[in-house]
Amino acid sequence: MAVPILKQGDVLIASIQAALSDRDLVDLRDELANRVGRLRSRGVVIDLTALDVLDSFATRMIRGIAYTAKLRGADTVVVGIQPDVAFAMVQLGLALEGIATALDLEEGLALLQARKAERDVRK
Amino acid sequence: MPELATPTAAQTLAREMGLTEASVERRRKIVGLGPQDFERIASIKDVVLPEIEQFSEVFFSYLSSLDEGRALLSNRALAERARQLKREHLVALVQSDYGLGYVVQRLELALLYSKAGLDLRVFLAAFYHLLKSVGVAVMRHFPSPLEGFEAFMSLEKVAFFDIGVIVDVIVFERERVIRQQQDSIRELSTPVLQIRERLLLLPIIGVIDTHRARLITESLLRAIRANRAKVVVMDITGVATIDSKVANHVIQTVTAAKLMGATVIVTGLSAEVAQSLVVLGIDLAKLNTVGDLQGGLEEAELMLGYQVVRIDGRARALANEGSKVE
Amino acid sequence: MSESNVPIERESDIVIARQQGRQLAASLGFSSTDQTLLATAISEVARNIVNYAGRGEITLETVTDGGRRGIQVVARDQGPGIKDPELAMRDGYSTGNSLGVGLPGARRLVDEFDLVSSLGVGTTITMKKWLR
Repeated sequence: MAVPILKQGDVLIASIQAALSDRDLVDLRDELANRVGRLRSRGVVIDLTALDVLDSFATRMIRGIAYTAKLRGADTVVVGIQPDVAFAMVQLGLALEGIATALDLEEGLALLQARKAERDVRK
Repeated sequence: MPELATPTAAQTLAREMGLTEASVERRRKIVGLGPQDFERIASIKDVVLPEIEQFSEVFFSYLSSLDEGRALLSNRALAERARQLKREHLVALVQSDYGLGYVVQRLELALLYSKAGLDLRVFLAAFYHLLKSVGVAVMRHFPSPLEGFEAFMSLEKVAFFDIGVIVDVIVFERERVIRQQQDSIRELSTPVLQIRERLLLLPIIGVIDTHRARLITESLLRAIRANRAKVVVMDITGVATIDSKVANHVIQTVTAAKLMGATVIVTGLSAEVAQSLVVLGIDLAKLNTVGDLQGGLEEAELMLGYQVVRIDGRARALANEGSKVE
Repeated sequence: MSESNVPIERESDIVIARQQGRQLAASLGFSSTDQTLLATAISEVARNIVNYAGRGEITLETVTDGGRRGIQVVARDQGPGIKDPELAMRDGYSTGNSLGVGLPGARRLVDEFDLVSSLGVGTTITMKKWLR
């Protein structure tokens, strides 16, 4: 597995590195879907801090990974998009509609925690 | 010319100005420097070389005769270096090799003059006098005035080649200053203010064109990262015209901020303007708008869990009595 | 380094091409944001070559025009070509698998963009970005 998936409580964290191939991303998607199911993880954080470029292809792949995790029942948040990359993405017209975003891993985990707390209150 | 480990200021300047062997060759072509000139210059090499000190002295004494020229001479270190470089230049002037190395040497001298604040007009006047004294020596050397004239005119070509370089340096440096000033102005006009932890205020005033919109977005995104902001209040009350282009810039900025996990509240968008934008087909649903700045700030604070409460009787008495003048 | 050639034959070449583009842009003094825009544009056209043409090459070089300096990126391939270049360059962020997806976006990232394509012959995309 090119992308290490860390487990922190009931959250899975995947840090995407710059030189990942399509193959690696497909594997990541399948592996995350697998583990979310198996480990009953409530949350997934996809960390893009290491990426200095996000083109339309990569964005589509990441969208796919996030949606897959959500479909499997995990609250998903994408974190770590750098200022330059965010700027380039809007110029390209790329968006991560329907996917939660946060500044970095710390914020992402806090967001998942807050959302979980809100859900628990409602129960 | 040997490659040094760290480039000198002159080498760096040459690279920034895009000076290469190819572009220098182009400059030689423009001025018309060719093999015949090199031959003629070679023939007067031995007339010029023995008198280098005297010719250099003509240049510097002319400078000292002018108020504007004394700035360079009053600084001992600069004056010494200038004399040394001038001597080296005069030697190179008659070597018939005017490539990138020669130009970089000119740049060194140009940078020094620039540092000393030497006026271009003064430089040209002193340079003229130097060339005149060289001309006199050259004419004396040749029995035939025509031959002497031709030899000297070949040297003049190199002189004009030199002047071309110096002028370009001055223009380039002036433009660099202008660019820096423009950058400062732009930075000052797109302030991003942190007003509470995690809360940024971005007041936008004036005209927003594509270029400024981009700068604003870049500033905001960097500020979001630096301040770990979760909410941004972007106030466009002061924006002159809000047309569909500006609206799209705003939407883009908001979208980019969202990618970094920050929510943007847009304030100052009046109902009338919003209506006209909707009519134009702009999808304002992506924007979280609040009528006025105060409302926007209150909403932002709520989002972050702040609650501002006014407590009766706590307001300080703010008396505006004039102060005593002794 | 004022010109470099990157063969695009496999996915990993995309990263190489865009990193070289970034380096060249940095050496010329492009801002960090502009470096990313250029690298992203290179990534789009390189990806296009890998996904639809199989192989090609990207040439990066510094260019001058009057007083200004910039970078020119030429992406060449001998792939199947784009049937309707006009259509391909029209804005629409479709997620279709057609040739040329991502090209209208790339155009927005650079200052000059030119696309020449013939069916059965190949495609050449020329992009230029100027230093402000």
